[in-house]
Amino acid sequence: MRRARRFNINGILVNAAALVLVLSYALPYVYLLMTSIKPAADVQQIPPSFLPAVVSLENFREVLQSSALPKAFASSLTVAVLTTLLSLAVAVPAAYVATQYRRRITTLFLLFALVTRMVPSVSLGVPLFQLLKSLGLLDTIPGLVLAHTSAAVPLALLLMSAFFEGVPKELEEAARMDGCTRFQAFRKIILPVMIGGIAVTALFTFITSWNEFLYALLLTSEATKTAPIVIAEYNSVYGLAWGAMTAAAVLYSLPVIVVTLALQKQIVGGLTFGAVKG
Amino acid sequence: MSGEDRFVLCMLAPALAILGLLVAYPVGLLVFDSFFKVDTITPHIREWVGLKNYIDALTSKRVAESAMRTFQYSVFALFFEFAFGFCAALLFSALPGRSRWHRTVFTLPLMVPPIVAGLLWRFLLVGNIGILNYGLVHLGIITDPDAIAWLSDEDIVIYSVSFADIWLTTSFVALVSYAGLTNIPRDLLEAARIDGANAFKRFWHVTLPLMRPVIAVIVIVRAVDAAKTFDLIWIQTQGGPNHASEVFSMNIYQRMVRFGDLGEASASGTLFLIVMMLLAAAAYWKIWRPAHA
Repeated sequence: MRRARRFNINGILVNAAALVLVLSYALPYVYLLMTSIKPAADVQQIPPSFLPAVVSLENFREVLQSSALPKAFASSLTVAVLTTLLSLAVAVPAAYVATQYRRRITTLFLLFALVTRMVPSVSLGVPLFQLLKSLGLLDTIPGLVLAHTSAAVPLALLLMSAFFEGVPKELEEAARMDGCTRFQAFRKIILPVMIGGIAVTALFTFITSWNEFLYALLLTSEATKTAPIVIAEYNSVYGLAWGAMTAAAVLYSLPVIVVTLALQKQIVGGLTFGAVKG
Repeated sequence: MSGEDRFVLCMLAPALAILGLLVAYPVGLLVFDSFFKVDTITPHIREWVGLKNYIDALTSKRVAESAMRTFQYSVFALFFEFAFGFCAALLFSALPGRSRWHRTVFTLPLMVPPIVAGLLWRFLLVGNIGILNYGLVHLGIITDPDAIAWLSDEDIVIYSVSFADIWLTTSFVALVSYAGLTNIPRDLLEAARIDGANAFKRFWHVTLPLMRPVIAVIVIVRAVDAAKTFDLIWIQTQGGPNHASEVFSMNIYQRMVRFGDLGEASASGTLFLIVMMLLAAAAYWKIWRPAHA
């Protein structure tokens, strides 16, 4: 009896602590949302208020009508989609043979991919700038796609390898028995089974490109600059237009958050998979 | 060469080509450039200077300071991220009614673009309208909202800019730790309880040793990421005030873009790369391998 009651008090304490933690964690982003729907003049009021006195879409109108943001969103989206397609196209087959056909070359290859994740982007950005310059690809969509792919391929390789670990070798053998070549077995039997893992990997590579800042800063300018660059420019070009900045930040981050919530289970699985299996 | 080998090579080839062109070749170019005096705008005009760029970088006060700041930032951020994240994971796994809802909220920051996290925290900390100080006044911690100038005080700015990092990545630590905790066999903890181990002892002798590989992965991944940080800090302060929040990655960027010195930027970039590799290798041998032995 005593034991049960003590457990209850413990339970209440744990619940309260978790609630406080989660709330304090969510508050900053909620404040961003609240600020973005204030009238622009109220954003800079002293002292600041957490909730808007009146709800207004003025900030959103401002960034959508009179700024470089819509065009930048188009750039961001194009680059992220192309990066995802290119990264998956090269990483999925490679991850498959790296896990199902172990050889010295495949082990070395995966190790190289892992090491690549440690390379600071600024170290790679310096020579990439030169490489793209000599190819005439500075400030072009293909140029930025290539740069983003250099970061997305290692990520996609490691994620896909973790997913392919779970595929039994018998699957391919059975297909070979039925007269498929190795390529056919991969295309017709393996890929359909792996569609969930491929989707999670696609989402991760998409977000990697969507969120990327440094390469975009180095390698693009007027023609193809992406959304984060334009948002950062609000700092300097427009003085400190906090209202517009918060609206732009919401437009830029909310879609990703909504998608994350929808696919939360798979995402957390994909994220913790490799780390825990170790 | 057998058919099987051909298949393996065919499947690997595109990825090899991409990584070769976009990672291996640029890294080679980086090292190559680091031995020349060369300008960013005219990379075809170059003069061999041997190790001069390295000597300049290693003897420059500004470089040394930015390296030190990178270290301060990373240690500070990693310590709090890990403390908060690990405690959150323990809380979640202690919740009787499964902590789905809490973990959902914790998933969000995983996907918030770093640039938005930086912007948001700048907005929370900025002078005059930063709501955080008003909150602290409310709680009675400070008397005047101007008491702490988070982003303009040169002594504390390097720690202030890491708040955004801590906020953004605590959830990563929490979710990975949580997944690790749920993988610990229940009967082990139960056996320890029957043997009379109290909660703390169970944590210390059962949970922690089993969590070691997971903790190692978190520390390696996060330490490398924190040391590479650029965007989070850039959006908050652009390295200011007076370079007080200029970390190493930013220093390299500045030297390449603002001063147009490709050679020196390459030398620093190469040093940065080597240090990161050594760091990761050390962490791997020291923490991860013993756990798998």
